[in-house]
Amino acid sequence: MKAESVTSHRGGMWAWLFQRITAVLLIVCLAIHLVFTHIVGIGDISYDTIGDRLAHAGFIAVDIILLAAGTFHALNGLRMVLMDYWFTSRKRALALTVVLWVVGLAALVYGIWALWPWIS
Amino acid sequence: MSKKPRETANIGAGLWKATGMWAWLLFRISGLILVFYLGAHILVISTAQWSEAGKTFNDLMKAFEHPVLVLLDLALVVAVLYHALNGVRVILMDLGIGVRSHKLVYWICMAVVVIVFAVFAYVAFTYIITGKGVM
Repeated sequence: MKAESVTSHRGGMWAWLFQRITAVLLIVCLAIHLVFTHIVGIGDISYDTIGDRLAHAGFIAVDIILLAAGTFHALNGLRMVLMDYWFTSRKRALALTVVLWVVGLAALVYGIWALWPWIS
Repeated sequence: MSKKPRETANIGAGLWKATGMWAWLLFRISGLILVFYLGAHILVISTAQWSEAGKTFNDLMKAFEHPVLVLLDLALVVAVLYHALNGVRVILMDLGIGVRSHKLVYWICMAVVVIVFAVFAYVAFTYIITGKGVM
């Protein structure tokens, strides 16, 4: 096993840094999300109760951060896994990165569209 | 630092005797589960847009109140907590904090997983049994 294949920043320093920044954002926002949605709000989740929660700008910010940071963190994590198996060459890794950026941006737009009835 | 002699042959197999290798594998598996879940989650939430006044969405949320799905949610909490706390450990190692006692740091993180899971399990089972939340 080559040394470079076990270092965690093989996917690039910026991706490595953003993976950690989004990780911290996710821990904070996911804690808020889970406490309010799945502990306080268990059994009481509906179109209307979510509307009440998202009447507060703070909760809108939490949801948007979860969507954006979550999508980046998930797809970059997936990229790191795939680069260990099939997308090992520079050319394949680049193709994978481009595809995942397109998928990620589409997910971001689709996710904001999904939240639109509550946040607009 | 291990006192065992350094293995020179079959290094890959030797790695699996280390806590870190299992931590890494579980990190990967939980991560892949969460990637899949995030996609499903965005799709489910988007059903709010599929019909007037979120009817499809409300029907889905009603279905998710079934005990089996509450238990699946609880299983998801395990994946989230493991990934989050092992992630905390990875960041601490990156920052050079606790490197010398990395196994202790790992087990402290796992203890946090168990404690926080107990809170979620209490809420979930209370809901399954009584049909009510705890708050």
